[in-house]
Amino acid sequence: MSSPALQPRTRVTRIAQEAVDRARLTVVPRVRTRAPRVPFVTLVSLVLVGGIVGLLLFNTSMQQASFTASSLETQADTLAAREQTLRMELDELRDPQRVATQAQQMGMVIPSAPVFLDLESGTTSGVPTPATRENAIQLQPPAPIKPANLAPAPIVVEVPAVPTVEEQAAATAAEQATGAQDGRTKQRKNRNR
Amino acid sequence: MPSTRTRRGASRGAPMLRLRIGFVVIAMVLSFFGARLVQLQGVDPQSYALRAAAEGAARVTLPAERGDILDRNGVPLADSVKGKMVIADPALTADSAPELARLLSELLSIDYFKALTALEGRNEGSRYEYVARRVPSTLAGDTLAAVEDAGFEGIRLEDDPIRAYPAGDVAANLLGYMGTDEPLGGFERTFDEQLAGVDGEATWQSNSGKGVRIPLRESTLKAARNGEALRTTIDRDLQWFTQKVLAQSVRQYRAESGSAVVMDTRTGEILALADVPTFDANEPTEAASPDDLGSRAMSDTYEPGSVAKVLTAASLIDAGKAFPRQRFKVPPNLARQDRVIGDWFDHGNIRLTLAGIIAKSSNIGTVLAADAFTPVQLVDYLNRFGLGQRTNIGVRGETAGILTPGEAMTSQTKDRVAFGQSLSVNVVQMAAAVNTIANGGVRVSPSVVSGTAVTDDGVTVGTDVATRTRVVSKQAARGTAKMMEKVVDPEDGVAPRAQVPGYLVAGKTGTAQRVDGDCGCYDGSTSVSFGGFAPADDARFTVYVVVHAPSVDGGGGSIAGPVFSRIMGYVLGRYGVEPTGGTPSRLPVEW
Repeated sequence: MSSPALQPRTRVTRIAQEAVDRARLTVVPRVRTRAPRVPFVTLVSLVLVGGIVGLLLFNTSMQQASFTASSLETQADTLAAREQTLRMELDELRDPQRVATQAQQMGMVIPSAPVFLDLESGTTSGVPTPATRENAIQLQPPAPIKPANLAPAPIVVEVPAVPTVEEQAAATAAEQATGAQDGRTKQRKNRNR
Repeated sequence: MPSTRTRRGASRGAPMLRLRIGFVVIAMVLSFFGARLVQLQGVDPQSYALRAAAEGAARVTLPAERGDILDRNGVPLADSVKGKMVIADPALTADSAPELARLLSELLSIDYFKALTALEGRNEGSRYEYVARRVPSTLAGDTLAAVEDAGFEGIRLEDDPIRAYPAGDVAANLLGYMGTDEPLGGFERTFDEQLAGVDGEATWQSNSGKGVRIPLRESTLKAARNGEALRTTIDRDLQWFTQKVLAQSVRQYRAESGSAVVMDTRTGEILALADVPTFDANEPTEAASPDDLGSRAMSDTYEPGSVAKVLTAASLIDAGKAFPRQRFKVPPNLARQDRVIGDWFDHGNIRLTLAGIIAKSSNIGTVLAADAFTPVQLVDYLNRFGLGQRTNIGVRGETAGILTPGEAMTSQTKDRVAFGQSLSVNVVQMAAAVNTIANGGVRVSPSVVSGTAVTDDGVTVGTDVATRTRVVSKQAARGTAKMMEKVVDPEDGVAPRAQVPGYLVAGKTGTAQRVDGDCGCYDGSTSVSFGGFAPADDARFTVYVVVHAPSVDGGGGSIAGPVFSRIMGYVLGRYGVEPTGGTPSRLPVEW
């Protein structure tokens, strides 16, 4: 825009330039590069199927493990309960009362004073005292004596049977032998009750 | 290109129309969702959240195991076992109740009619009835399996821990007992915080309540904190023996009650603390009287009687106001202001040494000897022996006993206190006082808990906090022990039956009048006691026995003495204490 004389020349050059430029534009031939689709689809499908199956298997195995854990827990509980029950039984067996009762039944008596035996010198220290039946301690309170009307005499019913002659003879003999004894036993039983 | 686009568009309808229809459809669907969202979240979100959580959620309380109570050797005196409660749903069981009740009563060894009532439902429409409680787990499991095999429904199990006392009544008065759900007495209650522990909880998602966890779903686990064991200083077998021997004597002399303590002289540990009558801790409801449930040894006060004479004598010797061979003229009776003091045996004017006064248990002699003391001095010594204040060993309901302050004490009261009347004590206080003499004049505070434990009152108790205080000098304690040896002397003493063959035994009898709480007077019955230690020249154990209100006439020497002898003989053998072979006391009793 500095001088009008110059204008036509520049326009011409510009148009020419544009024409040149336009002339250079060509349509690129369409190249159809056809990538093979099958491998890709196969891969994706495989990944998908694999994933799903894997997940399913994983889930199943987890579920399986959960069942196993559950049953093992139950088993552990049962065993723990068993152990505790056994421990309880053991505690009952170790009850000093039970041990003492059994020992006393076997004729053992807790002595009233200890005596020590020195194994090296073979001497004893302490005064040996006999452990007699009187030294035994009462483990159970004596049963209360019941009043007579709570412990009635047993009712003896004679069975009227007609035995054969031989049997009768045998029975009479036996009766004579044990009759008195029987009466005594009955009496004692009655008193105990 | 434009031509193709037009063709395609024509085949699928006008794009704008499609778009609009699409929008309308989407808007409708979204508005349904929106409305549902408002309904779920706006109206009552909580109930839905709860329902969602409850669906398939399993929540289990993990019960904390209650701590054991152990004896000194770690043998359980009380232990916890997993148990189950058997629960019936009467809606399902009522129809077949008789058959099911028969099965259950056979399997669980329970009463048929109780089972029947539970299975039929105690109330109309009840869905939850206890059939049996505290059933061992294995038995409960087997029972449930048998019930299900037989084709019955409506029986299930729930956790119900069992508290078991394997030795029944051994130390029951100390241990206490459990109610249905909470501790009701004794150590169980005092140390409940330590024993109970804290329940845990587990939640998880399960498949339709079969108890199998759905993996990778939300689950929480808060483990239970089990209770801590409480270790006591009690020796179970010795405790059992002590109870049996004491019970035998209480029965034999038809006494009201009795208590006995075995104490380790050097450490103050209580090896046995027996109360008779007692109860079976497994069956506290079957106790003959509610009074049997506590520890009478700690909660009952009584006047100690002559056993307290040794405390007076030791104090006098320590203060330099008497010595074992000191000579006293003992008159038949002693008039003191308004009262006349007599002795248990009739005598004229006799001449006894201080040792003789102890050996023959003369009230008059003790009063004469104690004249050297003012009431303040005597009470001060008795306080230091531990009388008049709680031992705080951790047993509930302990009494402090009564000891009149020295400033307020009249001289008549002082005379009676000198021989053990007009003051009251509990059994452990008295045992600890006698133990002071056994331990060379140093009082070790008694303890029944090994280590430390904190009671429900916040008091720390146990062997770790035991204190030692010198009460009388070693010479005074030795001198008193020598005098106490005379008590069991067959010729000079009053309690030859308290001897343990082969050992030097020091002890003192007591026969005290008992106070009737209702009238506030002596009711004519007596508390007979014997406190002593062995071997006398190197004491290892102190045993104190008291029998209250025997119906058969007798004193401390004849009733409590043999019990002492039996227990002492057993404990010396059990702990392997050989006879010391020391020379017996040669103190003169008369002059």
